[in-house]
Amino acid sequence: MSTLLAERKGTVQSKAPPARTLIEVRDVSLRFVKLLVLDRMAVDVREGEFVSFLGPSGCGKSTLLKVIGGLIPVSEGEIRIRANGLRVGVMFQKPLLLPWRTTLSNVLLPLELGRETRLGPQALDKAHKMLELVRLADFADAYPHQLSGGMQQRAALARTLIQDPDVLLLDEPFGALDELTRELLNEELIAIWTGGATRLRAIVMVTHSIPEAVAMSDRVFIFSPRPARLVDVIGIPLAHPRNAESPDVTRFVAEARQLIRGTL
Amino acid sequence: MKRPSLVPIAFVGVVLCVWEAGVKLFAVPEYLLPAPSVIAETVDRSLFIQLAVTFSEALAGFAIASILAFLAALAFVRFRTLEQGLFPIAIAIKTTPLVALAPLLVLWQGTGWWSKITAAALICFFPVLVNTVKGLKAADAEYLQLFDSLGATRPQEFRKLRIPFCLPYIFSALKISSSLAVVGAIVGEFVGATKGLGYLIMISSAHIETPTLFSAIFAAAAAGIVLFYAIGATERFVVFWQDASSE
Repeated sequence: MSTLLAERKGTVQSKAPPARTLIEVRDVSLRFVKLLVLDRMAVDVREGEFVSFLGPSGCGKSTLLKVIGGLIPVSEGEIRIRANGLRVGVMFQKPLLLPWRTTLSNVLLPLELGRETRLGPQALDKAHKMLELVRLADFADAYPHQLSGGMQQRAALARTLIQDPDVLLLDEPFGALDELTRELLNEELIAIWTGGATRLRAIVMVTHSIPEAVAMSDRVFIFSPRPARLVDVIGIPLAHPRNAESPDVTRFVAEARQLIRGTL
Repeated sequence: MKRPSLVPIAFVGVVLCVWEAGVKLFAVPEYLLPAPSVIAETVDRSLFIQLAVTFSEALAGFAIASILAFLAALAFVRFRTLEQGLFPIAIAIKTTPLVALAPLLVLWQGTGWWSKITAAALICFFPVLVNTVKGLKAADAEYLQLFDSLGATRPQEFRKLRIPFCLPYIFSALKISSSLAVVGAIVGEFVGATKGLGYLIMISSAHIETPTLFSAIFAAAAAGIVLFYAIGATERFVVFWQDASSE
């Protein structure tokens, strides 16, 4: 399995020393009744990297993400979270805002849940800071139905970030938005990721868009149609911000496309 | 809220005018169909007292049934076995005609308030129960997954997710059962009572006092309408996000 995981392109990013693994998925299989959804899946996420799970719709990549997030129990194999107390924040394809709450109150939700609520005096400050980070400061008191789709996803991102996650799990986070908004939000996500205002140590994003995966990730895991198997991993050692038209990027897009075509 | 319209009021006015003119024109006997003006003359203080009696019976039964049905629904959704075990009984209560049960209620509880309140409650219980159970399960699986990923406890999941999501369902049930409550109270009064609109209807029909009979019927309808619109107004205030998001 380790050969499969080795990069085809040599080392990714020259950040020495070799980044340590935060999350390791080893030989995980999953069945829904009789249907095999994940077939001996092996994936690793390292400190400081942005990885994408790329594959056709319905291939089980979202399921794998939810497995990593602990939302779906696995039938076989194991998931190792390497760092102690690693906090994982999940963001879904739909914004899933509560319609009876304002943006601010929606962002505060994670701090209200759990056995120990964390609604101290700093909570409000923090929520406002998160709204600034996703550029929604002016909409703190708006209700979800008053926000555009893009703004709703920004609010959802702020709600995920307020938990101070170490790893962000994104399930096609902007997939339901129009292309222009999606590109803009992708760029902002990268800006937040590289900006250092959060304590994020890794991001895992599920997508079925090849250009999106190439534009954002340090490594792209390519999955076959169901049952999902890991086909290949492409390392993309390019600095951010990336220009979608640059020859480097288009080369990686072409390579990824060829790999995916081979599985269909 | 949509802009208030005068159209319904105008229609009622036209119907009353046609009725009045028709009765006069064809000289319909008063004991069969009294003119609206004759009916209006029978509206007096005692009618309002009877209305108040029936209205409070209906309201009490409605309130008790709604609270019990809500609690039962919470228990049903939280514990599936409870739902499986008790739901058939709830259906049995629902399918038994209230008219058939009413004599028994009077036998057990006497001709006072309680037999009417129980009758109203019995008829209100089922719609609220069914809709609340449905509403408590209405939150998307994805919302439940979100709450799961945020480490929500079961009480938090109910308080902050399932119950708010359920509110529109509860309100539509309350609108249905509020008018049923008046029916329940009147059925209870038919069987054995010394006051209330049901009692007034029985007495005036026995004495062929048709104008009084009509004013009692209209009063009963008015009670239902008032309850219905009061709940509708509360709904728009409480479930404020519903109208706005469906625009």
